[in-house]
Amino acid sequence: MKGLLEYCRGNSFLHSCNPLIKIAAAFIMCVGCFMCSSLIYVLCVIGITLIAGYSAGVGGKVLKIFTSLLKLGFILLLLQIFFISEGHVLISLPFGIRVTAEGLHFCVLLALRIAGATLPLALMLMVTKMSDISGALVKKLHVPYKYAFAITTALRFIPVFADEMNGIIEAQTARGVEFDTKNPIKKISLMLPLCVPLLVSSVKRIEDSSTSALLRGFSLRTYKSGVKTYPFHLRDAALLSVAAVTSACGLLIGILI
Amino acid sequence: MISIKDFSFTYKGSDVPALSGINLEIEDGDFIGIIGGSGAGKTTLAHSICAVIPHYRPGDFYGSVTVNGMDTIDTPPEDIAKITACVMQDIDSQMTTSVVEDEILFGLENFSVPAEETEQRITEALEEAGIPELRYRNLNTLSGGQKQKAAIAAIIALKPKILILDEPTGELDPQSSVRIFKMLKRLNEEHGVTVIVIEQKIMLLCEYAKKLAVLNRGRLLEYGSVREVLKDAARLKETGVSCPRVTDISEELRRRGLYTGPAAVNVDEAAEIVKGVCEADD
Amino acid sequence: MIELSNVAFGYAEGPVINNLNLQLEKGSFTAITGGNGAGKTTMVKLISGLLKPTSGCVRLCGTDTRELKAKNRAKLCGFLFQNPDRQICKTSVYDEIGFSLSCIGIAGGEADKIIRETAEMLELDTKSEPFSLSKGERQKVALASVLAANPEILILDEPTTGLDYRECMRIMKIVADLNNSGTTVIMVSHDMEIVADFAKRVIVFEGGKIILDGDCRSVLTDERLRCISSVLPPQAAVLGQKLGGRFSGLFTTEEIISDCILQSQCRMHNA
Repeated sequence: MKGLLEYCRGNSFLHSCNPLIKIAAAFIMCVGCFMCSSLIYVLCVIGITLIAGYSAGVGGKVLKIFTSLLKLGFILLLLQIFFISEGHVLISLPFGIRVTAEGLHFCVLLALRIAGATLPLALMLMVTKMSDISGALVKKLHVPYKYAFAITTALRFIPVFADEMNGIIEAQTARGVEFDTKNPIKKISLMLPLCVPLLVSSVKRIEDSSTSALLRGFSLRTYKSGVKTYPFHLRDAALLSVAAVTSACGLLIGILI
Repeated sequence: MISIKDFSFTYKGSDVPALSGINLEIEDGDFIGIIGGSGAGKTTLAHSICAVIPHYRPGDFYGSVTVNGMDTIDTPPEDIAKITACVMQDIDSQMTTSVVEDEILFGLENFSVPAEETEQRITEALEEAGIPELRYRNLNTLSGGQKQKAAIAAIIALKPKILILDEPTGELDPQSSVRIFKMLKRLNEEHGVTVIVIEQKIMLLCEYAKKLAVLNRGRLLEYGSVREVLKDAARLKETGVSCPRVTDISEELRRRGLYTGPAAVNVDEAAEIVKGVCEADD
Repeated sequence: MIELSNVAFGYAEGPVINNLNLQLEKGSFTAITGGNGAGKTTMVKLISGLLKPTSGCVRLCGTDTRELKAKNRAKLCGFLFQNPDRQICKTSVYDEIGFSLSCIGIAGGEADKIIRETAEMLELDTKSEPFSLSKGERQKVALASVLAANPEILILDEPTTGLDYRECMRIMKIVADLNNSGTTVIMVSHDMEIVADFAKRVIVFEGGKIILDGDCRSVLTDERLRCISSVLPPQAAVLGQKLGGRFSGLFTTEEIISDCILQSQCRMHNA
């Protein structure tokens, strides 16, 4: 997953839209996925997101996230499928366990919904700079800068901590800890002691980070101080309407079915 | 000008003072290297000058630290921050954004630099740091040396009078380290910025710094020109500071009564000394 | 002892090492140096088996690293990282060393004995808390937990970065003693003064290739070394070359001083 959610520079339609509109559009698309229980509709949402991703030049990355989300969805599917026993039986297994058509539909829908709801948000992060997200939140919505900054910093630290975790796993492997075990419980018990070094380095990092921000006048900032203005354009209306129409279709289909 | 008088500081929860009885005056336009073994209080001293201590790190504070006439205790830390800028040891924590340009903009926006001025400040800072080509790069994709320069660019855009750096070359190779010091020297000479740098690589300080301050266990052991401080090489080594190898040579020759002049601080001087010892006619 | 044949390795962004061949003798002390991003760390990770080559093979004592299990690898080859905090995960020095031993299947009375012996050798207090120690002491704790497994090969990745002179010398003395008693040591370092003081063989790495390789004296006094800007030759070697004549092949301060004294005595004798 490393580097997948990072901002990718560009000047496509999506890149030049207003950050707030992008966030709003992504959320509207997410909601749409949960309005409607039609598999085809959820697939359409994923399709639209992929097309939007390709138009912004990050299609490959969106596809990669999609496939890893599908893997996660598949695991959930396996966990759920045996617990739904109502409906038309497709496969009958010993011990009264059976796979039903309703169960299968429910689980596939769940897996796709997870992907459909996550992808627009992931795409939004790839085409929007963190500083623009926090900047627009402060400028337009007058969110206190502290909170906007906290959100973007949390997102920024994900790759830093992922790197740190990889380094720690490597150091532990070097001393003989066997991580490539198949047993998930054993794996978790091996990972737990690693939280200590990660915690120690994180606490120090966060302290340094806040000091450094304070030294550069962080506490002086108000919603008036940003240089960038985030005006709304026609393209923002276009983006928002695409998202709104998609979501409305979902709602409509949801009511009709 | 920075003036530190009878300054002592003990971190909250610690019994041992991190710094005690420090008296130090740093003139405008100086280039100071702070050296000392681990736990000597180097970072504490740097933090005291940029007002992190006492404002963001609790503890017992005695004496006074004044920066350009402002007492760090009475002055809001933001006002001190307008004059002094500090580059942290861990460069990844220093960064607040994900793109070089935004990193520079961060401080400018905080200090409400007018919009029409920002573009010029950003280009100038990138030029001075020697990294105009990195402007739109993602910070995660930069090498250690490039990140260090980006962090320094973000700081010098604020036009500080005093620049404090905590081990800026810690993880860099010799070539990248020299580049950082060349840049600091240019800032110091052409823009009159006072540079205070904590550094383990003594050979770099010998070449670029004007003065050295040696700390040992929270006390100021010595403060003076590079040559004066290096004269007592054996004592420095005891406190955990390494000396240039050429200084070891000149001091060993002195110990054996073969040489009586000042301590050598670079290869050229050492060459002259060795030639003198080998060839001089009595 | 250690044999790399036609080794290639690359990350997703592209190849780092191409067609590398190298042999290291048992009991040798090899320093690997070169600029940031030259592939030094990648190379030692390949040797230790932490990374597997994309083609070619790395053999430690005749065994391909691809066939080594983590446990056996730790017994054969110890790895000390630049940052000890990534390794330390227990709240006492005793437990920290003990954890390493439990990883390789040693427990009980035998483990207790090894822990005490290792701590004594490195002058560590088994009861102290690693995170309250200084960086140099933490590096020693990390080294102790590597050495407890009694590896035949010890790899150090910039072990002295961030340490002061005292701490640095303390660590290096321990490493030199181990080398004298037969441990094969491989050290990645930028600090050529340390390299000159301790290494027997020096390899200069640039762009994933070996560009200089030989015994310490021949590499450190090589004219070509001064053209590689990412490596700073030791001051004594630069001084020796500058002085020329009988000084030109020298690379340690001790040699320069003793030669200088010798020459001044000759001169006085002649006078």
